[in-house]
Amino acid sequence: MGSIRTLNSSHMEDESSLGSDSEINGFTSERQADRYGFIGGAQQYSEESAQDVPPEVLRQREVKWLDMLSHWDKWMIKRFNKVRLRCQKGIPPALRGRAWLYLSGGKVKREQNQGKFQELDSQPGDPKWLDVIEKDLHRQFPFHEMFVSRGGHGQQDLFRVLKAYTLYRPEEGYCQAQAPIAAVLLMHMPAEDAFWGLVQICEKYLPGYYSPGLEAIQLDGEILFALLRRVSPLAFRHLEKYKIDPILYMTEWFMCAFSRTLPWASVLRVWDMFLCDVGVKIIFRVGLVLLKCTLGTREKLKTCQGLYETMELLRAIDPRYMQEGFLVREILEVPVTARDVEKEHHTQVKRWKKNRGELNFKPAPRMHGARIIMLAEPPRRQDLQQNPTIVLEVPEPPQKLNKGKEERKSKKKKSMKKPTALEEIPNPYPLPTDPPSQSLNPRLPAAKESALQQSTQSLSSSEQDTYL
Amino acid sequence: MGSDEAYNFVFKVVLIGESGVGKSNLLSRFTKNEFNHDSRTTIGVEFSTRTVQLNGFYIKAQIWDTAGLERYRAITSAYYRGAVGALLVYDITKHLTYESVERWLKELYDHADPHIVVMLVGNKTDLESERSVPTEEAKDFAEKKGLLFLETSALQSTNVEAAFNKVLEEIHKKVNSKEVVRGSINAVTLNSSRAESQEEEKKPCCKNI
Repeated sequence: MGSIRTLNSSHMEDESSLGSDSEINGFTSERQADRYGFIGGAQQYSEESAQDVPPEVLRQREVKWLDMLSHWDKWMIKRFNKVRLRCQKGIPPALRGRAWLYLSGGKVKREQNQGKFQELDSQPGDPKWLDVIEKDLHRQFPFHEMFVSRGGHGQQDLFRVLKAYTLYRPEEGYCQAQAPIAAVLLMHMPAEDAFWGLVQICEKYLPGYYSPGLEAIQLDGEILFALLRRVSPLAFRHLEKYKIDPILYMTEWFMCAFSRTLPWASVLRVWDMFLCDVGVKIIFRVGLVLLKCTLGTREKLKTCQGLYETMELLRAIDPRYMQEGFLVREILEVPVTARDVEKEHHTQVKRWKKNRGELNFKPAPRMHGARIIMLAEPPRRQDLQQNPTIVLEVPEPPQKLNKGKEERKSKKKKSMKKPTALEEIPNPYPLPTDPPSQSLNPRLPAAKESALQQSTQSLSSSEQDTYL
Repeated sequence: MGSDEAYNFVFKVVLIGESGVGKSNLLSRFTKNEFNHDSRTTIGVEFSTRTVQLNGFYIKAQIWDTAGLERYRAITSAYYRGAVGALLVYDITKHLTYESVERWLKELYDHADPHIVVMLVGNKTDLESERSVPTEEAKDFAEKKGLLFLETSALQSTNVEAAFNKVLEEIHKKVNSKEVVRGSINAVTLNSSRAESQEEEKKPCCKNI
């Protein structure tokens, strides 16, 4: 029968969780969080398959991204291909949250709806939805340090974001798959930003996925299956033979944008592309790659002669196929264009109407690419301005500092205070090759809140802040 | 308990009921003897198997689990296909989850085999002090509707084995009985060459494919 492997001993109180904010009870160093915040090896972090970008390259990319973000509209309208290429290479972690917010159009939405989130946040919410949301708070990435504590800041913010959405779109309400989406966003940005990111994903990237009736996801399942025919006829025939409905394997993949399926490094790369390029096109491509790799050869098919066996295989995909480098390369090589998806969409809608009657969900044209989103929701100049939450006062000639960085930082400051004579500010992020700084003041001096930014958006924002 | 074991039958059993009643933990408790306070929300379909011995036969129980939220019912027909048993779960501390049992039954009979064996399961008996559904009330309801009935605690392991075993036993009886038309229950016998078949029950000691 096997030994008892209770993950949470039954004599622990119901209210207790794997740990509190300040202390993880009973767990020692074996429960270290990995670089992404996951504890105990959850979400498949692996030292060997980690794709580490050398720091110099990372710094270069950050510079490029900072430049793009400062001239976002120009880059998006005139040089979108370059933006897309940079997303494909992977957004530098320090700027990922910000880039995602800009790419998705969430930044513009936030600026054009100032005060809206606060308004929604302050309302009580429909008890019916609150009940379901509350049940789910401790069930999203429970092994991630941000969400591990019941009632902790991460779960609180998750609640706020999901509740706000049910108030923003009461006809949609709450769908459970929105929680992992919101959680991924919260790992990178404060609650208000995550809220607008969620809005954009629900409305522009995965429209109808979370609506009552779940018609959109079923339709996309049929489209995925149809596209598989040309990408891997073997896999297609196998799934057809055993009558394996796409809903049985692609639901969690698509509804959670693979955040529950792939190793975390790969999730981030997929999201970098997903938010930039064609939202659903990327999702389709990932699905096709996984299906092709898992079921694409006769040899592999021999091991799963049956519906159940096939599904077991699809649930335990070989980590090699999900490894960041491999996966991204494969995704970019899938011979499926946005046009192919549109055509297949058309075909499947017709088929649906013939077999199942009218669609309740009226599919709006999919927005192919962040650029199109921007054109559809054009930003005002001020909507694109960056609002760093930490603003440093730079002394008048910078001495022995990382010059380039400080100059860029000072350009970003919105509250242009006259620089006063301050003691030398050490570079908080020195590279091993940088000259050592003189004063080792561990705290950044004169950190002032920008007048334009309310820093109390999220209690966790100070820990998660990725704004340089 | 691995897949290399021989078995005579495969019975597909589905877990249904409102979100948060404990379906996923009943699944993990029965098939892996695991319980997790923070198990992930089920999105899509989860499943697991366990082979049990009943009356000399080896029965592989294929247990399927899915999301309980209302809107997920739109995608359930694929989920019910071929199911011969169902555990309809509610939370004894949340009366609302018991009130929706009728709706779940309707859902079940709309999509599943009419001869499907159903057990009403009142889960979370470890929270006796917060009980809001009296045992007798649920028991009477189950009797009236022709359902089996048990109360369980996935956390403490109470009655979990009993619940699944009872359902599997009843399914086996139906498969064996001459009253049920063979073809109507999709009991899969391993000795058949492919999946869904309605073949004769073979002798034990079959080999795995």
